[in-house]
Amino acid sequence: MSTEPRIASAVAGEAASFPTVLAHTPDTTGKFFDLYAEFWQRGVAPLTVREMTRMRNARVTDCAF
Amino acid sequence: MTWLRNNSDTPTLDGLLAQRPELLEKYQAFYASIWEAGLVPRRMLELCRLRVAAIHDCEPEWMQRDAQVELGEGELEALRRGDFKPFDAAEQAALAVTELLPYAHHALTDDDVAQVKAQLGDAGCVSLINALVLFDVNCRLKLAFDLES
Repeated sequence: MSTEPRIASAVAGEAASFPTVLAHTPDTTGKFFDLYAEFWQRGVAPLTVREMTRMRNARVTDCAF
Repeated sequence: MTWLRNNSDTPTLDGLLAQRPELLEKYQAFYASIWEAGLVPRRMLELCRLRVAAIHDCEPEWMQRDAQVELGEGELEALRRGDFKPFDAAEQAALAVTELLPYAHHALTDDDVAQVKAQLGDAGCVSLINALVLFDVNCRLKLAFDLES
């Protein structure tokens, strides 16, 4: 696993991070966050269930982020 | 056969997501943006999509074809068995990353990504990874809900 981001930030003056790397594809990224917001802000499943499954998925995939 | 109630006669991914129309709309917009961005050659996207389907053994996803990409039977057979020799250097770099993303993402190396960046640039590389994630999700949804397409 790399200790340095593999893609540079697309935002001048900002370090590489999840949003600044995704900024390389602004249209796709905008639509991704629209979809993600739909899950979180208007989901049918209880918020606690969604958060619990999100955290469990992070553990399963070993994603510290 | 899926146990879910569908909005059509055939249990499809769109039918599944149509249980939440606003979700379907946003999912389709996200998926379309990958193909329309033009940052990754369409043929490369199709090769990677099919390879993800083969990795998951997801027949519904495998049987779909992009109408704008023509692949020969030999190419399809090679994709199915994970043989990337028939493809050009850029496609092989993309397929090497594709091979790892569904189940071995921690095995991805700096060099794997560097190879893709060399071919597609930073934006193309990000677009490809986004695409692979969506292809992976599509297969998982189709298999989890036993969908036909």
